[in-house]
Amino acid sequence: MSEQDAIACLRIEIREWLAQNLPGNWRERQRGDDVAGFLAMQREWFGKLVEAGYATPHWPSEWPGGGRSLAEQIALFEELARGGAPRMSLFFVSLYHAAMTLVECGTDAQRARHLPAILKGEVWCQGFSEPGAGSDLAALRTRAERKGDRYIVSGQKIWSTLGHFADQCLLLVRTDSSGPKQAGITFLLMDMKSKGIDVRPIRQVTGDEEFAEIFLDEVEIPVENLVGKENEGWKVAQVTLSSERGLTLVELTERMALSLWRLVLAATGGTGDTAALDVSVARTVVDISARIEAMRAMLATLMENRIAGREAVGDASILKLAYSRLSRDFTALGLRLQGFAAMRDTGYVLGAGYETGNWMFDFLNSYQYNIAGGSNEIQRNIISERVLNMPREK
Amino acid sequence: MTSATDAMRIDPEEMRDAARRLLADKVDRRAGWEGRPDAGKALEADMGELGWFQLTAPEAQGGLGQPFDVLAPIYEEMGKSLAPVWLSSTMAAIDALNAAGTADAAEAITAVFEQGWRIAPLILPSGQSLARASLPMVPGVPGATHLLVVEEAGGAGALVAATAPGVTLAEVETWDLGRAYGSVVLSEVGDVACRLDAAQVLPVLRAHGELALAWDSIGGAAQCLAETVEYMLGRQQFGRAIASFQALKHRAADHKVAIELARSLVVRASDVFAVRGEDWQVLATQARILACEAYAAMAEDSIQLFGGVGFTWEYNPHLFLKRALVNQIIGGSPDELRDRVAADVCRRAMASRT
Ligand SMILES: Cc1cc2nc3c(=O)[nH]c(=O)nc-3n(C[C@H](O)[C@H](O)[C@H](O)COP(=O)(O)OP(=O)(O)OC[C@H]3O[C@@H](n4cnc5c(N)ncnc54)[C@H](O)[C@@H]3O)c2cc1C
Repeated sequence: MSEQDAIACLRIEIREWLAQNLPGNWRERQRGDDVAGFLAMQREWFGKLVEAGYATPHWPSEWPGGGRSLAEQIALFEELARGGAPRMSLFFVSLYHAAMTLVECGTDAQRARHLPAILKGEVWCQGFSEPGAGSDLAALRTRAERKGDRYIVSGQKIWSTLGHFADQCLLLVRTDSSGPKQAGITFLLMDMKSKGIDVRPIRQVTGDEEFAEIFLDEVEIPVENLVGKENEGWKVAQVTLSSERGLTLVELTERMALSLWRLVLAATGGTGDTAALDVSVARTVVDISARIEAMRAMLATLMENRIAGREAVGDASILKLAYSRLSRDFTALGLRLQGFAAMRDTGYVLGAGYETGNWMFDFLNSYQYNIAGGSNEIQRNIISERVLNMPREK
Repeated sequence: MTSATDAMRIDPEEMRDAARRLLADKVDRRAGWEGRPDAGKALEADMGELGWFQLTAPEAQGGLGQPFDVLAPIYEEMGKSLAPVWLSSTMAAIDALNAAGTADAAEAITAVFEQGWRIAPLILPSGQSLARASLPMVPGVPGATHLLVVEEAGGAGALVAATAPGVTLAEVETWDLGRAYGSVVLSEVGDVACRLDAAQVLPVLRAHGELALAWDSIGGAAQCLAETVEYMLGRQQFGRAIASFQALKHRAADHKVAIELARSLVVRASDVFAVRGEDWQVLATQARILACEAYAAMAEDSIQLFGGVGFTWEYNPHLFLKRALVNQIIGGSPDELRDRVAADVCRRAMASRT
C-alpha cells in the first residue's frame, strides 16, 4: 500500500472510530463553570484515545500507539479537529513537552517511570517563565543548590498552564550565575506533591483559570530527576519548546476553518446565502477564508519540509506570526457577527478551540497565541534577524 | 489543461532558470521610465523563439501540453524583474481558446505559434457588447494582433482581429510606465475570426489572469522587500544602519510574513487550477487578493523606508508601487473580486455540515 493510501485508510479508520466513541455531550460536560466536569471529561476522552492508540502517534514505536509518521500525525489531528472532538487540553504538555523531552534527553529510568504514567493520565506542566524572565527566558533566577543527592530549589514560576492540576513539572532552574545567562541553567523534573510547593491559579482575562503561579520554598528534588547535564538545561529546554513540531497549528487551523463555516451558517440562518450578510462582512469572510487556506497550504509545506529534513531557519516563526495575527482577525469577525450578544457572558465550553459559544471569550482568548511561546514581537525579531539578515538586537 | 505524459513534463525549476537568464539579459526595467526605446517587443519575440507560447497549448495544436506549473515560475520571475511585457494576455487566451474546444478556436491557437498572433483578452462589463464597448486601459493592447472579447453578462464571446472594421485601438499613457496599455473602442464589430461561448472561456480566462497577476505580485513583492532591506543595511543614521532600528525591522518582518502567506495560497491555487480541481476559480481569485495586497503594502512601505530618495524618480521603489497598484485593480478592484466570489465562499459553509 502506498503511503497516500495508508493515510487515506487511517482517516477512514479514525472517522469510524469517532462515530463510535466521541461523546455527543462533551460540550455540556466541559462548561467553563464546572472544572470537575471538565477534568472528568478530559480524562475519559484521553483514556479512549490512549486505548485506541491515537494519543501518542508521535512517540517512538516501542511505546503504545507510537511510531506513526509525521504525515499520519497530521492526518490524525485533522480528523479529530474536523470530527468536532474536544482538544486534549489537559494532557497536551504531558504528551508533547514532557514526553518528547524525556524521549530525546531523558534517562531510561526517567522514561520507564514517566511515559507509562503519562499514558495512565499523569498531568504535567511547564515551569519555565518567571516574573522577571518572560521573553528573556534565560534571565531566570529560581535557584537550585545541590546538596548530596538532592537539589534544593527556591524561587517563583509563573504562567504555568495547568499548574494547579499537574502531578509533575518540567522545571528550569539556575545552578550557576557566574557565566553567560544561558550557561548556568539546569533542567529538572519536579513532583508537584513535594514539600515547599505552593500553587496559586491565576485568573485570566477570560475569567478562566488555566494557568498558575508556582512558589518554591526549599523544595527537594532528587538528582536522578536531572535531565541532561547540570548547567546544560538550556539545550534541553529548546527540545521541550519545539516538541509539538507545528502540530498545534495544524490542529488549530483545521478547527478555525470549521469554525468559520459554523460562523457563516449562524450568521445566514443556516443557509450559507451571502444575501443574508452585510456586504463588508461577506468581503471579510472572503479574506479570512483566503488566509485560512493560505495557512493550511503553508503548514502543509512546512510539514513536508520537516519530513524531508529541509526546514529553513525562521519558517516556524513566519507560520506562528501569520497564525497569531489571523487568530485576532478571525475572532474579531466572530465578535462583529455575534454583535451585542457577545457582550453578555453566556458561559463557554473549555477545550473547544474556537467553538466555545461566546465570541468575546474567543476574541480575548486569541491573545494567548500572540503572547505565549515567543510573542509576536519576538517572532518579528527572529524573522528580521535570521531570515532577512538585519542586524541583531544588542 | 495538461495532456503531457509524466515523462514529457518539463521541470518548472528549469523554466525558472531559463526565465531568469532571459530576463537578466534582456530586461531594462527603467526603460519605460527614462524614455528609452521600449524593449517589450524584442523580449516578446525572444519568448516566442524560446517556445514559451507553446508551453501550455495542447499537443494537437502544436503545443507542448504542459500544466500551468511551468508558467508560474515564469510569471514570478517576470514580476521580480519588472519585465515590460504582458505575456499572460496571450497565454490566458490560449488556455481559454482551448477550453472553448471548437475547431475554430483550435486553429486560433496554432496561429499564435505559426503566425505570431498576440491576443489581448477583453472582458466587457454588463451593458457593453461587440456592438458597443469602450475600455480605457487594457493590458497588452499595443502590439496585440487580436482581441478575445467576452461579455461578462451576455454570454457572447468572439475572437476579433485588431484590424477588423469597428475596432479602434490606441496606446494610452498610464502611471505604470513599465508595461504597455491601450484603449479599446468597439463599434458594430461584425467581422469575427471565431465565435466563442463565454460560459466556457470566461472562467479560464479569468483564473489564468488572476494567477498571472498573483505570481507577478509575489515576485515583485519579494524583490521589493529584498531591495528595501539591502538599502536599509547600507544607509547609516545616528551612527548605525537604519536596518538595525527595531521599529523598521518589525515592519520588514510583517511584510515577509504577508508575502509568504500569500505565496502559499498562490502555489496552492496554481496547483488546483492546473488540474481544474475543486474550487479552482474561487481559489485563483482569493490568491490574487492576498498576493496583490501583500505587494501593495510592501511597495507602499518601501518608499517610506527609503526616505527622501524613495520620493525621487531616480530610485526604484515607485516602479514597484505603480506596478503593484495596477496589479491590484486591473480587471477588478479587490472589493469587486471579493463580491464576485463571496457567494461561492459562503456556500462552502454548507458543505462543511456533516
Ligand atoms: C496563555 C499563556 C500560557 C502560558 N503558558 C506557559 C507555560 O505553561 N509555561 C511557561 O513557562 N510559560 C507560559 N507562558 C508564558 C509565556 O511564555 C510568556 O508570557 C511569554 O514568553 C512572554 O513573556 P512575558 O509575559 O514576561 O512578557 P514580556 O517579555 O515582559 O513582554 C512584554 C511585551 O514586551 C515585548 N518584548 C519583550 N522583549 C522584546 C524584545 N526583545 N523586542 C521587542 N519587544 C519585546 C513583548 O513582545 C510583549 O509585547 C504562558 C503565557 C500565556 C499568555
